Formats: sequence, structure tokens, C-alpha cells
Amino acid sequence: MSPNLTLYAALALYAAGTIVALATLFTREKRPQHVALGVMIAGFVAHTVWIGTICVRTHHPPLTNLPEAAGFTAWLVFAIELALFIRYRVHAASFFVYPLVLMLLTLSAVVHDPFIKTPAGISRLFITHVFLTTIGVAGLLIGLAFGVLAWAQDRALKTKNRGALWDWIPSLNVCKTVSYRALAIGFSIYTLGILAGILWSYRTTAGLMDLRVKQVGAVVAWILFAIVLQAYISDTYRTRRTAVIGACAFVAIMVAILGIHHA
Amino acid sequence: MPLIVVGVNHRTAAVDVRERLSIAPSRMADTLDELRALDGINGASVLSTCNRVEAIVSASAEDVIEPIVDWLTQRAGTARAELEKHVYILRHGDVLKHLFRVASGLDSMIVGEPQIAGQVRAAFLASRERGALDSLLSQVFDQTMRVAKRVRTDTGIGEHAVSVPYAAVELAKKIFGDLHGLQVLLLGAGDMGELTAEHLSAFGLEQIFVANRAHDRAIELAERFHGQAVKFENVEPYLASCDIVIASTAAPHFVVESDHVHRALATRRRRNLFLIDLSVPRNIDPAIAGIDGAYLYNIDDLQQVANSNRELRMQKAHEAEEIVEREVEGFRRRLVAQDAVPTIVELQGRLEDIRAHELEKCLRRMGPMSADQRAAIEQLSTQLVNKILHYPILQLKEADEPAERETLRKTIRKIFGLR
Repeated sequence: MSPNLTLYAALALYAAGTIVALATLFTREKRPQHVALGVMIAGFVAHTVWIGTICVRTHHPPLTNLPEAAGFTAWLVFAIELALFIRYRVHAASFFVYPLVLMLLTLSAVVHDPFIKTPAGISRLFITHVFLTTIGVAGLLIGLAFGVLAWAQDRALKTKNRGALWDWIPSLNVCKTVSYRALAIGFSIYTLGILAGILWSYRTTAGLMDLRVKQVGAVVAWILFAIVLQAYISDTYRTRRTAVIGACAFVAIMVAILGIHHA
Repeated sequence: MPLIVVGVNHRTAAVDVRERLSIAPSRMADTLDELRALDGINGASVLSTCNRVEAIVSASAEDVIEPIVDWLTQRAGTARAELEKHVYILRHGDVLKHLFRVASGLDSMIVGEPQIAGQVRAAFLASRERGALDSLLSQVFDQTMRVAKRVRTDTGIGEHAVSVPYAAVELAKKIFGDLHGLQVLLLGAGDMGELTAEHLSAFGLEQIFVANRAHDRAIELAERFHGQAVKFENVEPYLASCDIVIASTAAPHFVVESDHVHRALATRRRRNLFLIDLSVPRNIDPAIAGIDGAYLYNIDDLQQVANSNRELRMQKAHEAEEIVEREVEGFRRRLVAQDAVPTIVELQGRLEDIRAHELEKCLRRMGPMSADQRAAIEQLSTQLVNKILHYPILQLKEADEPAERETLRKTIRKIFGLR
């Protein structure tokens, strides 16, 4: 099967699932959300096949260029979301996770980067760097999504105005716990990923890092996520400042991912 | 085969009538035997809750209704004319709709209340155990429980609390998720506070501490909840260790103030505190609502939650009624088709015999012919039979009323000479 065929199938299913989920999120009806999840899972299966096909064809993990890395990040983000759904039955995270997955996979479909074929390009250190960074980013993005849910739940409880998302959002404790754990684990792995990247950069270019977009974006995102994590540790995550920093961290991480294209 | 319900409920009869008809679980088996002993009853079940007493039967004819009313009159120990004012009688499709609505909580005093589904299940299971259900009532029972489940799952009609104590439980779950292992501090011995603590304690709380100005009363309440009584003057440390605080005292001033909560939260390390103020005048300083990590709800807030949930339930009830209508129609069609099956099979067999016999005679008369010619004649005969059968079968499957269906069935049997 052509990898492109499964990629486009996944893309189409993700798009359909995202539209259904977002269009019906405020209606309080469960059935459309279940349908959307079913379609997203079908997309996830096609996505998994696409990743598997790339591994078989190239004999290395799909992490060597922007389309592959974006596609793998999308796959990981959805896999984590699915695991959390099974555990906590959270539909509301779909407002953030589904469009994100769709966006990342669209990036995979529209950007055409050559595979890195140099020995340095596919060295173990490089693969480790991209693998850890990708997992870290997936964790951080899920942490942000649940952070937004925790904030929304806190506002609803404080203002006593339950709003249309009330039924979809799990308890405040669950949102806080998932967000904190995803941020803490994601941040640790992301840090290791960045360290591996610095080491790889040193070995291949004899410099620890240079000021390319992906590197600046990655470091800025690291700093911003550190601040967000600190806000969770000190229980000050409800502030507007933390919300703004979280949004900036998201932008920085996206810039870093897009920056891979210009490496 | 007619389905019939004869009964009284909270809308048709006051409690003094209902209580005379109600049946204790220990008497259910005998009651079912009595009902089944009436002439013409094939299957029977009795639903007896605090809001209704109903005899649900499948019978060979509708003339069993009178004996059932007599039986109820005898049970109520009242004049028949008196009981008839309160009794309702439902037949066929109306029985299905009624049972589906009852089990879904749509006919309950508090619309959407979840207990009734369990009570309907228990009633049918008791009948099944007693061997009182025939095949028709068994199918109706299974379908009733399926519809009740579908209504609950698809509409979420019973998900939201419609009373103040349950609204408090719902909010506690929204804050803490699982209530297992939480600690509650009950300040005062007001009725509403006691009721709220009682509802919360059903969810696996670790400990309930009770503080009251009259310490004896605190001890009494603590014993009831298997909790611990604490001196009213010494409650502050408990604010730090408890997750939920319920204030329901008669004090004319605040007993929990902002400073108390600030100090408590400082030691709780990221754990939220839910404060429920059920007192009038209020016992918890309203300024606490502005503290991060503290969630304060007073009696009006909780009442508002309950009211808005009640409105939501009414919206869900409309969706549920639509589901019930669709399910009644679908199930009724299935029952009708099922009822017609023996006649249809017999009719098809009869015409097939005629077709095969006449075809054989015809082929013998026509002499040698090619395989194609033989096949064409066979096909012609089959198509003729199918065309002839089409409308009688359709009519049998679509006849709505049992009486109409029975007349049709007898007519068809007579016309086609079925046994």
C-alpha cells in the first residue's frame, strides 16, 4: 500500500472527526462525540499504518525530516489522548487535541522534505534526540490541553456559571493531575531530547548550537514550559500570566517544529 | 395476545389508596400466584413501589380486566366503585409505551430518577423466578430494560442532581472526582447539613468530623456517620485536613473566616477545599469565594444548581419521549410480525404444496421438454404463488390491533383451508 494513500486516508478521517467533534461540542449530546471519536480512531489506525510503512521502507523510525517528525508527533499526541480518554472519559480535550493532530498531519502531507541519508543524519544520537524531543513535545501539548481544561473548570466552579462544556470536562482534580503529570514528564523527556540534540550538533558541526529557528524556538519553548510547570508546582496556574505564557510556549514549540524544515 | 396493565400511581391515587395496595417483597410470590390463578391470564408481573402498584399481564382476551379490577378491590379492602376512580387500564401499544416510560423514569414523580429502573427490573425478575412470565411478557421485560438503558445513556436524563444535598455531592465530584478517601467536617447539626453529609458518606468518605455547640449532639451525629466528634472551639486544624466543610449552624455570625481558610490552604499543598454553607444567616465568610483553591457554595447557589438541573432534565425528557415513541413503534412491529409467523409459514407451505402438485401434473401432461423450458414453467409457478401471497402476508404483518389481526388470521386460514 502506498504510504501516501494511508496518509491521506488518515488526514481525511481526522478532518471529518475534528469537524464533527467541534461542531457538536456545545450541544451536550454524547452520540456525535462518540461518532467523532470513532472516526478519529479509524484515522489513527490509518496513521499507524502510514508510520509502519515508512519504518519498513526506510529502515529507520519516521523522525528524519519535518513531515515525518510532525506526523510522528501527531500520532503520539493522539495515542496519549486516547489513553487518557480510556482512563478518564474526557471528551472535552478534543477541542484542542483533534485540531492539533489534524494540523500536524496536514504539515506532513503538504511539506516535502528529502530524507536525511547521511550517516550523521541517521546516527543513533540524532534518532535519540528527535525521538525524545517528539515524546516530550507530545507530553507538553497534552499537558497544555488539560491545563486549559483545569482553568476552565476552575472558572466554572468559581463563577458558578457551568457553561456548555460542564458535562464534558472531568473533575478539577483529574484535569490538574493529568496536566501536571503530562507537563512534568513531557518536560523531563523534552529536556533530555534537547541535551541529545546539543550533543549531536556538537559532534556534527563542532558547535553546541547555532541560532537557527528550530533551535531558538526549542530553547524558548523549554524556558516557557519551565515557567508553566513551576506555576503548577506552586499552584498559581490559574493566573492570566500563566495562561499567556502557556500560549507563548505553544507558539514557540510550533515554531521549533516548523523550523525543522529550514534546518 | 393482549397485553394489559391495571394499576394506580401517584397521579391517580393518594398515598392512603396506594399503601393499601402495596405489596411487600416477602408477599410478592403469593401475590403473583393469586394473579396468575385468574382465568385467561398467561403471564403476570406486579410492580409495587411507593409511587405505583400495577398488575402487568399478557392474557388470551381482554375480558380478564374485570377480574383483575375485582382482585385489586379485594386487596385494597374497599368498594369497587371507590377504587375505580383511581385505577387506570392500558392495553397493547399503550402498555409498551407506559412500561418504557416508567422504566426510563419519565412517569416518575421526580422525572428521570434512576431508582425506578431497578424496581422494574426487580419486579420482572421476581415474576420470572416464580415462573409467572410467559414468552411475550419476557420479551416485553427485556425490551423495557433495553429502552430504559438506552434512554439513560443517550440522553443522560438522570445525570444531574435535582435536590440541594445531591447538588452538593455533584459539585464535590466536579472538584475532587472520586470522593473515596476524602474527609468531611460538619459544622452544626442542621437538617440540611446532616442530609448532605449523609449523601456524601455514601461515596466512600474516609472520615466525617462533627462539631456542634452542644457536644452531645455532635457525638450522637458522629456515631450515626461512624465519624468523630470534635469540640466546636477546636475546629480550625480540621479545616486543613478536611476536603469538604459543611456549615449548618444556628450561629448569627461567620464561624469560618477568610484567615482560617488562608491558613488551611497554606498547609494543604495544592489540595482544593470545598465549603458548603447551608446556614441562614451565613456561617462562612463570602469573601472566601475569592481565594484560589477554595470553592464556596451557599444554600442559594446549590438551589440554583438544582433548579437548573431540573430544567435540563425536562429538556432531556423531551428527547427521551422521542426515543420511547420510536422504540414502541419498532417493538410493536416486531411483535406483530412474530405473531403472524406461524400463519405465514403454514400459508406458504400450503401454497407450495399446491404449486408442486399442480406443476407435476402439468409437466406430465406436456411431455418431453428442454431443461430451459422446464425451468421457465417452474419459475412461472413460483412467481404466481409469491404474487398471490404478497398481500395476505403484508396484511398479517401490518395489522395493528390484536382483534383485527385475529380476524384477519382466521379469515386467511379459512380461505386457504389451513388447519
